[in-house]
Amino acid sequence: MKRFTIMTMVFVLFFLSIIMFYEPRSNLGETATRYNMFFAPQILYWGSQGQDVKNVQWQLVKWKYLIGKVDGVYGADTYRAVRRFQAKNGLNVDGVVGPSTAAALGITLSGTGAVPASAQGINRKGDEYLLARTIHGEARGEPYVGKVAVAAVVLNRVRSPKFPNTVAGVVYQPLAFTAVADGQINLTPDKDSIKAARDALNGWDPTYGCLYYWNPATATSKWIWSRKVTLKIGKHWFGI
Amino acid sequence: MNGNRRRWWIAPSILGLILILAIGWGYSEYRDKNKLGVALENHYQRLFFDVKKHVENVQVNLSKALVSQSRDQNVLLLSQIMNEAYFAQDKLGQMPITHAETAKTEKFLNQVADYSYDLIQSHLKGQPLTMEQREALANLRGNSATFNQELAKLQSELSDRTFLMGSLNRRQSKKVQQANEKILQTSIGNIEKNMAKTPELIYDGPFSDQMINKKPVGLTGKNISKAEAKKVAKQFFGDKRVKKITAFEEGENASEVRIPSHTFNIEPTNASKELAVYMGVTKQGGKVLWMANARPVSKASISIKEAQEKALKYLDGKGFKNMEPNYYLKYDNTVLFNLVYKEKDVTIYPDLVKVKVALDNGEIVGFDASSYYLNHRENRNIENVKITAEEARDGIRVDFDIDSIRLALIPKGKEEVLCYEFKGKYDDSDYIIYINALNGEEEQILQIIKNENGTLTF
Repeated sequence: MKRFTIMTMVFVLFFLSIIMFYEPRSNLGETATRYNMFFAPQILYWGSQGQDVKNVQWQLVKWKYLIGKVDGVYGADTYRAVRRFQAKNGLNVDGVVGPSTAAALGITLSGTGAVPASAQGINRKGDEYLLARTIHGEARGEPYVGKVAVAAVVLNRVRSPKFPNTVAGVVYQPLAFTAVADGQINLTPDKDSIKAARDALNGWDPTYGCLYYWNPATATSKWIWSRKVTLKIGKHWFGI
Repeated sequence: MNGNRRRWWIAPSILGLILILAIGWGYSEYRDKNKLGVALENHYQRLFFDVKKHVENVQVNLSKALVSQSRDQNVLLLSQIMNEAYFAQDKLGQMPITHAETAKTEKFLNQVADYSYDLIQSHLKGQPLTMEQREALANLRGNSATFNQELAKLQSELSDRTFLMGSLNRRQSKKVQQANEKILQTSIGNIEKNMAKTPELIYDGPFSDQMINKKPVGLTGKNISKAEAKKVAKQFFGDKRVKKITAFEEGENASEVRIPSHTFNIEPTNASKELAVYMGVTKQGGKVLWMANARPVSKASISIKEAQEKALKYLDGKGFKNMEPNYYLKYDNTVLFNLVYKEKDVTIYPDLVKVKVALDNGEIVGFDASSYYLNHRENRNIENVKITAEEARDGIRVDFDIDSIRLALIPKGKEEVLCYEFKGKYDDSDYIIYINALNGEEEQILQIIKNENGTLTF
């Protein structure tokens, strides 16, 4: 009986502590790594191709980690050779050529080379990724053109005097997007969303300059219906 | 007997412990929630007080600019007005108020900033304020004054402790909350109504109404029907490749967008239903404005050079002559080429067409000519240069390492200006410098960021 009591107490304490100290895992960290897989060419992994892979293979063949030909394709043989190299040299054995493995190989990966100070860190990736997340949160189930359209609306707002003047300003404007308010914007965007974000940033605008869109089934604001309606793409109506 | 007494102990003690733990947990959650609520409320209060301060500064500086006779002083004042107006707009956009209630106010602030920038430019060119510009400034001052008055009213309400903006904070009763919301909404609503009366500002900045409402000049001819547009779209994509073509549903104001068009969804014969091709055909003149083929491209087997040839050939086949490839950007196994119209050895940047080529088989998977049709004109009147390239070179730093020089027409507000384009390097970075070919002024500098995927300009 006593044992039963103690066991119960232990269980109760255990579960309660789970409830009390459980911290919902933010998926932002994971999102960031996946994003890097998509965007950062300076990391070589299984499936990578190009001159950088050739350089790695040359070095591995020279040092006899790799027996095979230098073809510029990061396949199974290269993967195993990289792992062997990493194990021998006290590196993190993950089969991925990142900055530290590249340095140990004596190779500078393109993109990590010398960049003039005036150009360091200037790129479009921040906007691109934020747009992709917005698309994923707001228009996941839409056809491709609907995704580009949603991103185009964000960009049209940036250019409009009635809205904030940066992508982040528009996306995070309070009460503007439901996906931002309920946190869906922090989900990892899929490949399609990233592609759509890039197309929109490069100038494609299926909405012809619209500033608003709404889903007639879920829109709660009466005001939105006072907008001028122009086009329906997927489930969304677009307007100016 | 003994056993019974022991058993009587067990249940209450477990329940008691659970209760204590639950209370502890609940209390810590409650405290966290309040902390967050207070932090958010503090942030909103800060934004509000900042907006008030910035609008005050706009008003004061506008008054000073109207009094001042000195041009130098005016440039300083206008640059402060620009700053303060942008700050106010930025912070207003972060407050928890719906867009419907702040749209016109944000527009007002943006245009004040934009207009100031425009005036700074004309001041620097030595032009004094005209009567119309003074009048416009006085108008803006009047508007910012009414804006400021409403904000002052709100501020006095705010000094009353019960006013809280964040709806997260539930320490006050529902009624007080609703009353507060009402105060905020009416005040902001009053400001909005006033802003609606603002006369249209006539100037040349990117936020001016003239720029926003610019109509395409490259489209001529009469309007075509949906059926005719469908034919154009089919022909553009290739009649034989179209399995099914459907038009997107249009709203009643479809003709009020910048370039009114029919939009189509094309199902190609050899692709699944999900991989449709989308196309927009202009109502006026019946030109294909844009096309997007969302087909995934899994591998890259042709070179950039081959792709460029495909793009040029494609444009030639679609009736775009004298197009010159400029920059490219490689992404998702496709290459995007920016092709620009060239006339009499002058590169005409506003006439831009974008073509996206898939690197697996060289198919054109994207096309966008909206910039071209917005700006292109037949028989553009290109002025003769008034200074030579050597004279223009004198306007550039001596240590700027020039790679190439050519003539180009670049957009500047509503106008287009003829410039010498100097591409080169300074301090290891790439730049393009534009020197006006008529008066030798430096018109624009672009910084070029190159990487293995192509070129971006900033």
